[in-house]
Amino acid sequence: MKRLSTVLYTTCLTGLLVACELPPRQHSGEKQTADIIRTSASTEVDPNEEYVMVTTAINMPMYVNHDQAAFKKWGAARGVKVSVLGPAEWDVPAQIETIEQVIATRPAGLLINGTDPGITQAINKAVAAGIPTVVYDSDIPGSRRHAFLGTDWYQIGQMQGEEMVKLIGGKGKIAYMGILGLTNMEQGFQGLLDVIKKYPEIEVVGKFDDKANVETAAKLTSDLLAAHPDLSGICGFDSNSGPGMALAVKEAGKAGKVKITTVDWEPEHLQLVQEGVIQMLAGQKRELFTWYGAQFLFDMVHSTNKLSANDAQIGITNIPHTINTGLIKITKENVGQFLKR
Amino acid sequence: MLKKLLQDRVYSLGITIALICLVASILFPANFPTFENVSQVMLNLSIDTIVAVGMMLLLISGAFDLSVGSVVAFSGGLAANLMYFHNLPVPLAILAGLSSAILIGWVNGYLIAYQGVNPMIQTLAMMGIVRGGALLVAGAGIQNLPYWYNAIGQSKLLGIQMPVWYMLLIVAILSFLVNKTVFFRRYYYIGGNEKAAHLSGIRVKQMKLYGFILSAALAGIAGILLSSRLGAAMSTLGRGMELRVITAVILGGASLSGGVGKIPGALLGAMFMGIIANIMVIARVSGLWQDIILGIILIFAVWLDLFVQKRSLHQNFFRPIWKKESSKELGKAELVE
Repeated sequence: MKRLSTVLYTTCLTGLLVACELPPRQHSGEKQTADIIRTSASTEVDPNEEYVMVTTAINMPMYVNHDQAAFKKWGAARGVKVSVLGPAEWDVPAQIETIEQVIATRPAGLLINGTDPGITQAINKAVAAGIPTVVYDSDIPGSRRHAFLGTDWYQIGQMQGEEMVKLIGGKGKIAYMGILGLTNMEQGFQGLLDVIKKYPEIEVVGKFDDKANVETAAKLTSDLLAAHPDLSGICGFDSNSGPGMALAVKEAGKAGKVKITTVDWEPEHLQLVQEGVIQMLAGQKRELFTWYGAQFLFDMVHSTNKLSANDAQIGITNIPHTINTGLIKITKENVGQFLKR
Repeated sequence: MLKKLLQDRVYSLGITIALICLVASILFPANFPTFENVSQVMLNLSIDTIVAVGMMLLLISGAFDLSVGSVVAFSGGLAANLMYFHNLPVPLAILAGLSSAILIGWVNGYLIAYQGVNPMIQTLAMMGIVRGGALLVAGAGIQNLPYWYNAIGQSKLLGIQMPVWYMLLIVAILSFLVNKTVFFRRYYYIGGNEKAAHLSGIRVKQMKLYGFILSAALAGIAGILLSSRLGAAMSTLGRGMELRVITAVILGGASLSGGVGKIPGALLGAMFMGIIANIMVIARVSGLWQDIILGIILIFAVWLDLFVQKRSLHQNFFRPIWKKESSKELGKAELVE
């Protein structure tokens, strides 16, 4: 009896091990579009055709006012269904879960905010499922996404560095803040530091995590001003850095004396530029990310521009691979044009 | 019979989940009741459930741990850092990740149980420290992890990804241990009345220490599984997980005052939340509304459960399990010790 149960256990265990399926190995030279992409032979628009955007921190004003607004506008203009999904907080694993659940519902196309390289597997899953997949904002280079549209964050850092050097006359103490640990922001920090290191008279007094929170950014800035009364400038890298830094500088009565450069151009940011509290904004053309991102998906689904008899079979797509949408430099000189928009 | 079933949160929640699944299958026949969707839901809740099992044990003993989410990020981050930057073999890196989690659990447990530090303050402080540590070891994220590391979380058995099987195994083992062994049943006595448990000879401090170590070790396992599933370690992993897990565990029948709860309740609590979130994705409910709807459903579910229990069990309403144990059984437990 004992021997029989041992044999049974061993058989079950062996059976389970045999049934175990290992993940595929990824090779650098992997064919990009070997999967069968679900396309429509017709150029006619099906009103049930659905395009889904998956992001994180879905209620962030910058995302709502720019990315989501442009995506919804595109959907209305094209006469197709559009949905915006994702967690309310900055939660990358929850974004991944949402992507994976959306894949199971087979939308016509997926527009994904490239929040972190950790979403690579989820993007690859969507591509493997035959869903046209476009990444926007930050690229996920290790993924098999069909296209990317966005800004080069290194350039954002460079733009801020070059402007800060001009504003403080190439000398003095500066600090910078953003969300530490995010790949795109770390690239931005590097761009800033690569410019600053050419100026030995500029001292970087610290790198701070404002956790994309206005109150935290304000508190960090007021602490910085207390510790370094001779602080010349601060650079911000997330949407809430600018308003927080500006609040603390205004409260300390140092508006205009402590120079501020930051990212994004929400009405609050623009107002602060006009007041002279913030000196420069490195703005992204976010509307273009999602409008053209969605259009690329549509063009893939409808084979708008057929490049060969069978694009997928020979491993090509009929849309651009990488698009840098560029940056907008907003200063007191041109801010009026943006406020009037 | 039905009355008896409804008195038990595990059964009442199980029935609620079954009803929700039935309604969702009728409303979304093409998307909800598919193998792909169900296996995806189970995969998504597997990591939270593994952490929730440890949290359930802690809550049974009357304590909780707010640092689990940070431990998830740190254990995976440390293992990834050692493999990627120091070429450490996969098993050793995993061992280092798990050891770090156990060490964090030991520090929490020692300071809470032996030094009398308030659990909320201690684990809140540890949450910050370990999150900072995760940022140090994982930086802006570590990708391109070794194939065999990724295989731990990305392999499939019978078409279902491995973290689901690990979760089921952990739930089964801990359920057995908590139901059948005197050692684990002592947590009910501690959670029910710590002083009485101490007077009856239970080494309360030592048991509490073990509870925190086990909870952190499970969070460590979850961290390794999550990073291997994603093929990347991120310092932001597990952010907000502590509250999610505590909610799932309370929903699954635990009480913040301790003494009650069952291990399968942790799985069911996580399943309830995971299924509701999945239905909202399928129904294309915007993320702006998801938290509001989930919150309302949670309050309604707990209220309904309380209502049913109140109606069917006036006398034993929320009576801790340890009180239900006969004195004979308690005596037997102490004799074994």
